[in-house]
Amino acid sequence: MNEANEPIIEIRHVYTRFGNAVVHDDVNLVVQRGQIFALAGSSGSGKSTLLREIIQLQQPASGSIKVFGCEVQGMSGDQAATMRRRLGVMFERGALFSALTVAENVSMPLREHTELSNELIDEIVAIKIALVGLPDSAGAKYPSELSGGMRKRAALARAIALDPELLILDEPTAGLDPLSASSLDELVRHLKELLGLTILMITHDIDLLWGVADRVAILGEGRVLGEGTMEELSKSDHPMVREYFYGPRGRAAWDQTWNRK
Amino acid sequence: MSASTLVPKAEVDLEKTQEVTIMRCSGVWTLQGIPLLEQHIAQLSWPTSGSLIFDGEAVDSLDTAGAWLIYRTLGQLERMGLAVTIHGLRPEHDALLQLIKTHAAGERAPIPPSHGLLNQLGRNIWRHLNEFNGLLAFLGEISVAMLRSLAHPSRFRWRAILYNLQIAGFNALPIVGLLAFLMGVVVAYQGAVQLVRYGANIFVADLVGLSILREMAPLLTAIIVAGRSGSAYAAQIGTMKVTEEIDAMHTIGVSPMDLLVLPKMLALMVALPLLTVYADILGVLGGAIVAQAQLDVGFADFLDRFDDAIKMKSFLAGLGKAPVFAVIIALVGCYQGFRVSGSTDSVGRQTTASVVQAIFLVIVFDALFSVILSWLKI
Repeated sequence: MNEANEPIIEIRHVYTRFGNAVVHDDVNLVVQRGQIFALAGSSGSGKSTLLREIIQLQQPASGSIKVFGCEVQGMSGDQAATMRRRLGVMFERGALFSALTVAENVSMPLREHTELSNELIDEIVAIKIALVGLPDSAGAKYPSELSGGMRKRAALARAIALDPELLILDEPTAGLDPLSASSLDELVRHLKELLGLTILMITHDIDLLWGVADRVAILGEGRVLGEGTMEELSKSDHPMVREYFYGPRGRAAWDQTWNRK
Repeated sequence: MSASTLVPKAEVDLEKTQEVTIMRCSGVWTLQGIPLLEQHIAQLSWPTSGSLIFDGEAVDSLDTAGAWLIYRTLGQLERMGLAVTIHGLRPEHDALLQLIKTHAAGERAPIPPSHGLLNQLGRNIWRHLNEFNGLLAFLGEISVAMLRSLAHPSRFRWRAILYNLQIAGFNALPIVGLLAFLMGVVVAYQGAVQLVRYGANIFVADLVGLSILREMAPLLTAIIVAGRSGSAYAAQIGTMKVTEEIDAMHTIGVSPMDLLVLPKMLALMVALPLLTVYADILGVLGGAIVAQAQLDVGFADFLDRFDDAIKMKSFLAGLGKAPVFAVIIALVGCYQGFRVSGSTDSVGRQTTASVVQAIFLVIVFDALFSVILSWLKI
């Protein structure tokens, strides 16, 4: 893979408003190929909105968002379909189709976008389910029969069904026990290395930020307050960024990371 | 990525020597590249013995689907007794293949056997009996909640009751009125042909009055309300169950019975009789209009005859059913709502079930009423 500076996502001067509330006030971000890029920031800082704008579920008031070098606004139907095929999204609450079993959920993108035989699709689905760490028996179950953590894994399996180049994760570890969360960290890193994925994730998980993310952007006040590696950000003197690192929880993770080193 | 991504294609060539077969793979072994290859692999003339060298040097890109195909093909060959060696794969591709190898399922979980016809019949009967049992238990729970509230009237949720009265009663006026009016028109119209033949035009008042007041108005109103409100109850409570709002209520110490079920049932027990009287009036009005238009029976004559022919007990026999129907509709709607389990799919199923069962039970009870009233000679 040639990851030398090939921007996968380019966000330039994005403004978003809901009525009078300004959500984004000139947001600029670039995610390069092969990066694990994390978006952090307090609740209501517009992380999820930005993500929805990237995957075309919402439109910014102005500004440009390019994914794989194509402007997402005013894309033709064909272009949008090609783009969707190249990215996988895992929603915060999983968004699995409750009328379908886990295996059917994972196979849906494969059946929709490829011409493989049913047999091969079933086998690939089984592999994906195993890859995310679910037991074999989970495939035949309905999402409502799974625990929260398993549902999250199933959602991840669906997101990587097509081996996307860009994986978008909304709060991948929220609601998981620490053990599942760290195995999910591991999995995300593993997938990135093996498949050359680019990953954009929203997270509050300070461990995930320190342990997995290559670059982090902290959103607040409608802007990017700071961007860089965690080490660079920890030297920032913006009060809200400092809050992130030197609040009680940030402190603990910080100490842990340094002790590990 | 090179230009090969434009026309992605994965290829396999077999090169046979005396003992060794070389399986030369090239191209794009990804989801886009492998669909054709899958069939192609099955058609290749594979050796049945000896050794095989898998040469992956020319594989441009590989994803999990491609790696699985390699793993599966090589696995099949090994099971046929070939000695397979892997050669030339790029380190990252090899790592991917290893990943697949470690996660490949040993054995698939067996598919549970499907049940026979008799077995299914038994299960269905058992399920329905259980459901009926649950319905009775639910009725018991509501009764207990009702008695508790009667002992402490301050427990009644008056706002919720009034709100439900508006939604289920007042807002249903236009549709109930329209359909009752049309029903009166239809009954009078159908009767008119027969009555004219015997010169018994005036008896249209008997016909319309008895059929609308005793049967049509209560039944029609109950069916409309079951479709309008019963389904809404099931969907509302069902969705609240999916989103764990019901559980939250329990933990706060608010009884869903008091907050959700009782207000609906009480409101419907008031609303349905009122709607029935309203349907009576509009149904008879519809009949009276047809009587004047088709049978030359004026409004004054019609009302005169109506007064003679229809006794108070006919009106009450119809009206008396309405509260019973109200209990059935609210009971079934709420019960089905609480039966929703987990998924949004289940909300749809239980909502359908609530309407079907409510209408079924309404008609069954209507028949029971007819039998009992005729015994009592009312």
